[in-house]
This record gives sequence, C-alpha cells and structure tokens, in this order.
Amino acid sequence: MTAPPQLRAGPGPGDAGTAAAVIQTEALTKRYTSEVTALDGLTVAFAPGITGLVGANGAGKSTLIKILLGLLPPTSGRAVVLGHDAAASGERIRTLTGYMPEHDCLPPDVTGTEFVTHLGRMSGLPATAAKERAADSLRHVGLYEERYRQVGTYSTGMKQRVKLAQALVGDPRLLLLDEPTIGLDPAGRRAMLDLISRIGAEFGISIVVSSHLLGEIEQICDQLVVIDGGKLLRSDTMTSFTQVSQVLLIEVDEGIAGLVADLAARGLAPRRSGRRGLLVRIDGEQTYDTVRDAVADLGLPLNRLEQQRRRVEELFRDNGDDEEERGDG
Amino acid sequence: MTADNAAAAGPAPVAGAGVIHDLGYRHYDGPRLGRPGIIRALYWHSLRSAFGIGRGAKAKIVPVLMFALMCLPAIVNAIALAQHPGQSPIVNYDTYTYPLRSLVMLIFVAAQAPELVSRDLRSHVLPLYMSRPMRRLDYPLAKLAAFTAACLLMLEIPLIILYVGNILSAGGGSAVWAQTRALIPGIGVAALWAVLLAAIGLVLASLTGRRAYATGMIAIYLFLTFTLSTILVNVAQQGPAGPKGGPLGPNAVAPLGARLGGLISPFSVLDGVRQWLGGTNTSPIPPPGSVGFLYGIMFLLLLAASLAGLAARYRKVGAA
Repeated sequence: MTAPPQLRAGPGPGDAGTAAAVIQTEALTKRYTSEVTALDGLTVAFAPGITGLVGANGAGKSTLIKILLGLLPPTSGRAVVLGHDAAASGERIRTLTGYMPEHDCLPPDVTGTEFVTHLGRMSGLPATAAKERAADSLRHVGLYEERYRQVGTYSTGMKQRVKLAQALVGDPRLLLLDEPTIGLDPAGRRAMLDLISRIGAEFGISIVVSSHLLGEIEQICDQLVVIDGGKLLRSDTMTSFTQVSQVLLIEVDEGIAGLVADLAARGLAPRRSGRRGLLVRIDGEQTYDTVRDAVADLGLPLNRLEQQRRRVEELFRDNGDDEEERGDG
Repeated sequence: MTADNAAAAGPAPVAGAGVIHDLGYRHYDGPRLGRPGIIRALYWHSLRSAFGIGRGAKAKIVPVLMFALMCLPAIVNAIALAQHPGQSPIVNYDTYTYPLRSLVMLIFVAAQAPELVSRDLRSHVLPLYMSRPMRRLDYPLAKLAAFTAACLLMLEIPLIILYVGNILSAGGGSAVWAQTRALIPGIGVAALWAVLLAAIGLVLASLTGRRAYATGMIAIYLFLTFTLSTILVNVAQQGPAGPKGGPLGPNAVAPLGARLGGLISPFSVLDGVRQWLGGTNTSPIPPPGSVGFLYGIMFLLLLAASLAGLAARYRKVGAA
C-alpha cells in the first residue's frame, strides 16, 4: 500500500492559512475550571475541502467544534468561521453550517423523513422547502424506502446517515462532523467515509471531520489538523502527513532480540510491537532493503512484512506501544 | 449554484475539478425564515404534538379524552337549558365545575408536558436544536408558548361552548349581553389557569428525560398539594369557630386557617386569585377575604419560580 493518491482536485498544498480559509482560530483558549483546560492557545487555519481534525479522546475536538458553532464562548482568543466571528455571530454561522454530533441524538418514534424535515424547518427552511430538502438529503446519504420507517428500527449505520442528513438538510457551506464513524463496523465505516468524501468533492461543501483514529480518516482528507491536550501538534496537507505516518511491521518467529540489535546497528530505531513484531519508521525505499538485509543476514524466519499507518498517538510520541490497535487494518 | 443540470454547468467554482458530476445535489437558493420564523415553526410543531397531532393514534387518546371530558359540563348545560327553557345556567364561566376542571387539567398537564420536553431530553436531540440559528432560550420559549396555548384551548373552548349553549336559550338582547359580560372574566380566569399550569408542568417535565417519571412527578405534585390543601381547609373549617363565630352561613367568613389552606395547591391558588379579583361564585375554596392578596402573591411566585427554573434548566442543557 502506498500513499493514497490525490484523487480529488482539492486545494493544493500550502493552502492552509491563506485568506480563503474556512475556519481560522487565533490563540483560542477554553478553560472550564482553573484545572481543566480544553483548548490552549490554538492557532490554526482550515482550508476549503475536507479537513481531518485528529486527536485522542479529550484532546479538545468537541470543545473546538462547539466554539466554532458559537455555542461555547472561548476563554480567550478568537475563532472566525466562514468570515464570521464565532463569539459574536453564532447565529449566522449556524445558518451556514451543518453539525453532526458524536453521540446518539435521534428520537426513536418518528420516521427519518419527519425528523429531517423538522430539523430542516429548524434550520429556517419554509415548510415545503424543508420537505423537499429532507427527501433530497436522505437520498444523498443513501436512505430510500427506509426513510418512512421509524428511526428506532434503524441499524447503527442508518442512524449515522440520518444524523448526516439532518446536518445536510439546511444546505450548509460547511459541515462539522464529530466522530462520524463511531460505533460502525468496518464496512459501515468505509461507506460513511466514502459518503463524506463524495459530499466534500461533489457537493462543494467544506467539511471538518473529527476522529481519534488518524488511519481512518486520512484516506479522505485534504488536510489534517492534529491537536493534543488542547494544543496544536501539527497542521498540514495530507501529502506531507502520510510520509511520516508510515511504518513497517516486521514479524519474525524467533530471534527478535537479535534483529532489534541488528536493525539498531543499521541506523533504524525499531520498537517492539507485540510478542513477535517490530515497527520501524519508513524513510524511503532503502528502509525495505535494510530490513530485508538484516533478516537475511540473521537467517530469521520472516512471517510478515507489512506497511502500516500508525495511530496518531504513536505518530507524535515515540513511546506508543499499543497492541490492540495497530495501523488501520 | 445549482448542479442539477450538468450541461449548463461551467467550471466547478469550489471543487475546481473542471467537471461537475451530476449527482442531483441542488443547493438551496430560496428564502430562509430566520429566528422568529424558526421559533414559530417550533411553536406550531409543539402545539400539534400537545394534542398528539402528527403522532400515532395512541398519542391522541389522553388529550382527546380529556378535552371531551372538559367539554362535558358545557354540553350538559346546553342540553339542560334546551329542555327547560328559562332555567338559569347550571355551570358558571369563572369556576366551571372547579373539581372536574382541576382533575382534567391535572391529567392533561401531567400527560402532555413530558410529550413536549422530556422526549427531546431523552433522545438527546437538543444539541441539534442548538446547532440551528436560534438562541439558547428560544427552545424553552417556543415550548412554553405552545403548551400555554394548548392549555388555553383546553380551558377556553369549553367556555365558548358554554356561552353558545347559554345564548341559544337566552331570551332577548339583554340576556345575551349579560352572558357576554359573564363570559369575559371567565376567559380571564381560564387564561390564568393556562399560564400557571403550563409553566409548572413544563419546568417539572424538563427535569427528567424519562416520560413516566415526568408524568408521575407532575401528577404527584399537583395531586398531593391539592389533597393537602383540601384537608387543611376542611380541618380548619371544622375547628374552633372563626372570629365571627356561629355556623358558617353563606356570608360567614371562614377561619383564617381555612382561608390560608388554599395557598398550598396551584389549583386552589388559582381559585383564590379568582375570588380575590372579585369572583363571587362559590367553590370548595373558602373566600380568602382579607388574605386574598396572598393568593395573588403566591400565583406570581409560582409562575416566576417556574419560568426561572425553566430558563436555568435550558441554559444548562444547552451548554452541554
């Protein structure tokens, strides 16, 4: 697997931070109490297109989204969304923005159509327009006959689609999607990501999609914003991200200690991963050669040699040694 | 930008890809209603759901039944007057069968206030409202207006039926005028009922997302205070004679305890206010006399506490 090609003619590299930014924050800080700081001097720009907002749970993603919607006043600093100040013009921003919350937010005893129509009216659409746009939105997210069924009977994937449809119903210029793939199985995640990618590419709507898994959303993003502990870790276009995000998993049946020493001697920095696995950072084609040579020289039985993407936590701290969630599968 | 017609599309202004794929996505160029329009839409939606309109048949049972029950005295009155012309009306506009009215409103408020607010809390749908172009207190405002209107319909329509029944058998213009003059304070009293009961019902219902709890809480509060107040009034009336002494004649002043007992229950507070404001028709609540102003204060206190509670509740929920 190589770096994902730029499938879409999105904004080119280096667009982040230009005047065309969809969202811009300046030294944005949010303190809930003197001890709890959700955002800490965050200065970042989101370019048009699809931006991944990545961070571990509790990194401040949801807080940032609420501030961007004008629902939460920042302690200091400011945020500008679509040219409007978030603290002063929240209503204007919410007219132009669709929001999909992370948690469950659907009443079980109404049909998908009724629900999305009602929220269309709450977005300011007149009754007839709300009906039409609700039908359109539900069709775009892939709900057809099911939309006349009660939401309580939907599968998790269908519920996520309804949540997306209600964000789309007001014809927003910007979508803020908070962990849209949460709770979905791999096939459901793929379908949801495809859908988001289509909306971003073909509907001309800028999207911020938050996730705690980098590997998951990097495939559909033009740009990544990584935050940790309320601070900006990195903001860059996807291309420059994937270069550092790739690691090589080496799995041998025996002699792993020797291999670690040998690879270290050859200038790589191997890290243990599980009982028989090693991870090394890929610095180019020569990494593969080095590993091949090392394994061959030691005469070890090589089980697996696999390029992986690392979790965001691993990317930015070098002590990550998680076993349960390696790469993006 | 409309992308529904690929042939007419030039270079894509946003994607910059040069080709627009015709996926039928249409942007919306029509009018947007803005905040007042959104509040109005939520108001109508909530008013309809207070009577189960737009919901299943089951949701209509309680409101329809209660409405029919509330109209019953007015209908009985109309039939009685039609069969015995010249008889004086058996139901008053301002008291309107106080015990039945209390019972019906108790059930209506306990059953329907949770329909308006507890459901949304239960399904955590509030963040979706908050992400719309409205302000934090617009939601409770629309809900309160809708539920007050629903209670008004419950209370006023029977009065109109009563009025129509009375003037149909009334002889002459002066009788019609007398009925009209009697109706006006009745409408005012019913409005006081609607305003207070809707506010109390909504604030209690907004405390929990579980409908059954909300209904139970409202019913128990209204019923317990009603019972307690009735007991207090009865005990006080049977106790040592009041200042005037002697058996309680129609013009006797009830003992102070009996006159204060009604302050506990919203229903008797409402009737106390009616009598304080000059209502002379008798009801189970003894005329408060010199302490009538306390009923007025209690009414305002209950209303203010409910409204403040509602605002505080939704400031908190909205921030979540």
